Amino acid sequence: MALLSSILALRRHPALIKLPPYLSAFCIVVGIAWLLILPLNEYSRRTYVSENALLPGQVHTYFTGSEHDVFRAYRHEVHALIDRPVEERSKALESIFLEQNLKVSTQKYNYTVSNTTIASENVYAILQGPRADATEALVLIGAWKNMDDEVNNSGVALVLTLARYFKRWSLWSKDIIFLISADSTIGPQAWVDAYHNEHNEEEVESLKIKSGALQGAVAIDYPAGPWGHRYDKLHIVYDGVNGQLPNLDLFNTAVAIADGQMGIQCVIQRMFNHDDTYKERLMTMLRGMISQGLGHATGPHSSFIPYHVDAITLSTVGDGWHDEMTLGRTVESLFRSLNNLLEHLHQSFFFYLLLQSKRFVSIGTYLPSAMLIAVNFSITALALWVKSGKPAEGEEKIASTNPEPSKPATDDKSNSTSPATDTKSPPATEIVKLGDAVTIVPQSSTTTLERPLLLPALLVLTSHAIGLVPLYYFNTHPSTHLRALHLTAANASSILPFVFAWTGYYAPDTPIPTQTFTLIQCFSLLGLGLGLAALATLNFSLSIIIGVLSAPLSFVRRTESNALNILQLGLLAVLNPVMVAQWSSHYLGADLAEVLRLAAVGWRVWGLWTQVVVWVVWFPAWVVGGTIVAGGMF
Amino acid sequence: MPLDTEHKLLIFAAAAAVRLVLPAVFPTFPDLLTGRVEVSTPVTSFKRLQEGVFLYTHNVSPYDGGVYHQAPLLLPLFSLLPDPSTYPLATNILYTVVDLLSANAIGQIADSGQNVATRLFTSSRKHLTWSSIAIATGYLFNPFTVATCLARSTSALSNLFILTAMAKAAHGASTTFILALAFAAYLSMHPILLFPPLLVLLYDTRATKTQSKPNVWTFAIAHTLGLAVAIGALLSASAFITGSWDFLAATYGVRLLLPDLTPNVGLWWYFFIEMFDSFREFFLGVFWLHAASYVPGLTIRLHKQPLFVACTLTGVFAIFTPYPSIADAALYLSLVPLFRHLFPLMRYSFLASAAILYASVLGPAFYHLWIYAGSGNANFFYAITLVWSLGLSIILGDSMYAALRDELDVERPELQGKEVRRI
Repeated sequence: MALLSSILALRRHPALIKLPPYLSAFCIVVGIAWLLILPLNEYSRRTYVSENALLPGQVHTYFTGSEHDVFRAYRHEVHALIDRPVEERSKALESIFLEQNLKVSTQKYNYTVSNTTIASENVYAILQGPRADATEALVLIGAWKNMDDEVNNSGVALVLTLARYFKRWSLWSKDIIFLISADSTIGPQAWVDAYHNEHNEEEVESLKIKSGALQGAVAIDYPAGPWGHRYDKLHIVYDGVNGQLPNLDLFNTAVAIADGQMGIQCVIQRMFNHDDTYKERLMTMLRGMISQGLGHATGPHSSFIPYHVDAITLSTVGDGWHDEMTLGRTVESLFRSLNNLLEHLHQSFFFYLLLQSKRFVSIGTYLPSAMLIAVNFSITALALWVKSGKPAEGEEKIASTNPEPSKPATDDKSNSTSPATDTKSPPATEIVKLGDAVTIVPQSSTTTLERPLLLPALLVLTSHAIGLVPLYYFNTHPSTHLRALHLTAANASSILPFVFAWTGYYAPDTPIPTQTFTLIQCFSLLGLGLGLAALATLNFSLSIIIGVLSAPLSFVRRTESNALNILQLGLLAVLNPVMVAQWSSHYLGADLAEVLRLAAVGWRVWGLWTQVVVWVVWFPAWVVGGTIVAGGMF
Repeated sequence: MPLDTEHKLLIFAAAAAVRLVLPAVFPTFPDLLTGRVEVSTPVTSFKRLQEGVFLYTHNVSPYDGGVYHQAPLLLPLFSLLPDPSTYPLATNILYTVVDLLSANAIGQIADSGQNVATRLFTSSRKHLTWSSIAIATGYLFNPFTVATCLARSTSALSNLFILTAMAKAAHGASTTFILALAFAAYLSMHPILLFPPLLVLLYDTRATKTQSKPNVWTFAIAHTLGLAVAIGALLSASAFITGSWDFLAATYGVRLLLPDLTPNVGLWWYFFIEMFDSFREFFLGVFWLHAASYVPGLTIRLHKQPLFVACTLTGVFAIFTPYPSIADAALYLSLVPLFRHLFPLMRYSFLASAAILYASVLGPAFYHLWIYAGSGNANFFYAITLVWSLGLSIILGDSMYAALRDELDVERPELQGKEVRRI
């Protein structure tokens, strides 16, 4: 109890009042340093397969010999379809599946995004597992076009060959669905939405035939032409929409089979020449985090992950000596492993950062970094809260910030007791006793001002609601005008803090007290910390990216010094979310207009909510920070 | 006064508009909320009520399916309304009216002044209050209240009767008080625990009003008998409607014995999932004893401020009953502003509000991870319900500290402004 009361007494210690900015800065520095040490051997772990049933690489694979001839034939058939209209292509693919005695169907979809129509057709076939009761299914995907918009000629041919090959086996205890989607992101999304009846029937056709619950999905991306191409490595893509990841066991199984059984080296995050140094590991991790943070679809597998279907894409890279049959055997072995599953993949991690194909960091190790960065905002919010309760230095009109000017109690009874403690009675000092020590301190350090909370709370809520306006426009504007819209948004958002600051400080007849602005910043940072902490559990990377980019918001204050103001405003102008989109896409080598178009596609088709976070959490916090600083300029 | 009435009318109209316009603009929103475990518990869910109404209108016992655990008298009421899936407006209007009446009741409580000055105690900060309109506004625009109303959870009705009982007790209206409390207890059982403090409150107001103090024992016995008769009548009517007394086991039995372990924001479900069956009865007894033990303790210690005790008990219910939802928290959090005069004495208001805010944002996120994304598990959601309960407990404990300190300031004026130390 003595401890408790001494902690309570410590609350008034002057050093403690000065501490929060340093504490916030400390949190940010530690948070970032934490990330940087993750690639070290001491903080990361080797991957391992947790699920006993998977037994990766324990089966002999038979996909060889005459299957190679079948594959080459299909490769030419697929090649012949490349320039054909979609209907004809679907017909031809359907007839190939039909020849193999599979149940076949097609699905049309037709989305309108940013005034552009995206329409095409998926073809899929279902192999009923001889030992299956149609309650569970695996999916093998060959997208017609891969992420680089190349025709996935050999990939689709391999899916067709494997369909024919799998059909002959009697050991399947799950149904296998072969899906030839029209492209790598929208087609699979339409299909998987319809599979789970989550689709809008005006845009996406319902599926005519279905199987059981999907247990896993593997996509093949092998764009070699009709004469083949020997590749060097397998690039395993695992990011799902909104930064959700597949169970690590699926990834590990794929690596164990490809690397251990087939001898194909596996790489991730487009780090094709990974020599396992600290720098390469860090780069891999950061690339993974950016990809996860953006939350976009990175391959045909991405759309499956939000439906709790673990999925990966295997894509071939480089020139080497591995051929299509090795890839086929890898897929065969992978499906044999998945076929063993007795329950949904659940043993291993769902939250991880991969450093290379065989090293990872688990959530317990990396989550504190994002939490520290989120907590820094809460600390500053707490400090501002305390500050808002303290009378400003040398300010005499304390009563004016009080909503109800204290009037002397007229009632006899309460007069006899004493005036209420919070009425501002004349003595400017008071005696504080702590144990044996007695001291006289200015009363301003022990009293607490009344805080009018309604106005600041409403203003902060309004600022967050305003974020919905750009969200709406960016997702509905024609794609050709997105660039212009972005320019407008950049200009408007740069001026916005000045407009707000002017209306806040100068337009009203009775100036709004400084306390109100302190409270506005307090609530805004509290909201940001809150949002980022919640986001860290859903999409760690997005949370830490936004956290780092908005870290200065913890430290910006209204000052009288013009130089300091300009410095703060300059920094904020660079960290304006709209500007961040501009310079980061330039830096990462992406075309801004394309990024904006994809974001709109993401919103309409994939169910992406990165932009909601940007516009409703990050942007309002930035505007409030800017407004606070801009107030010092007038 | 006319200006006040105008304000009140305006605020009530705005609150009604929010409740009627939101479902009209976002038609899927109410159903989404209805399915949320934070809003709808097995004993208050609107979906289950619809199931019960369906069985009832098809002349099957509504309790046969094992889904419906709510009071039988709700069935005839809701079977009168048109089907909510085709004509949601009628149901929405009903719930909006319920909320407005609740807000009116909470305004009456504030008007009574019992929150700052009772028969035996007058706070030294009694000038520090919010107007009844402000407090009613706080209730109407509390996001938790709005969510409860949109989700059409039947706890909105219990809240109405609890608030009415408090308002009537604070104004000394015996009969309506007994009726309202009987309805509240009939609908959700645990409000019966509010009877002791509210009886004290009623006694206080009657004693100040009539100048001649009624005899304590006759007063208590008369009102207890009255309550027993009212509840007895309600139960008999229920038995008459359903044709048997089976409903007792299906409604109060479920509330007492917790057979349905659907997650909620409370502390019981996880504990009882983990429990070995042989310990179940013992811990049910312990948990209930714990929840109920606050009643005598608080009523005796703070008998000078019975309204504060009753409000604090609603907070205890929001934490420690088996099936709490955000509706119970909404009730408590809306009653806290009545004690505006205690705010300067509270020490952890920012901490507690931050904990509640964090829990309200992280709760749905963790539930999503557990149920939809499949990447989390039950521990995630349970951890956050702990934070939620912690936030509420901090407010509860802190306000009790403030109330005691307030009493102390009056009793021992020389100690004002001194640090307290626990010994």
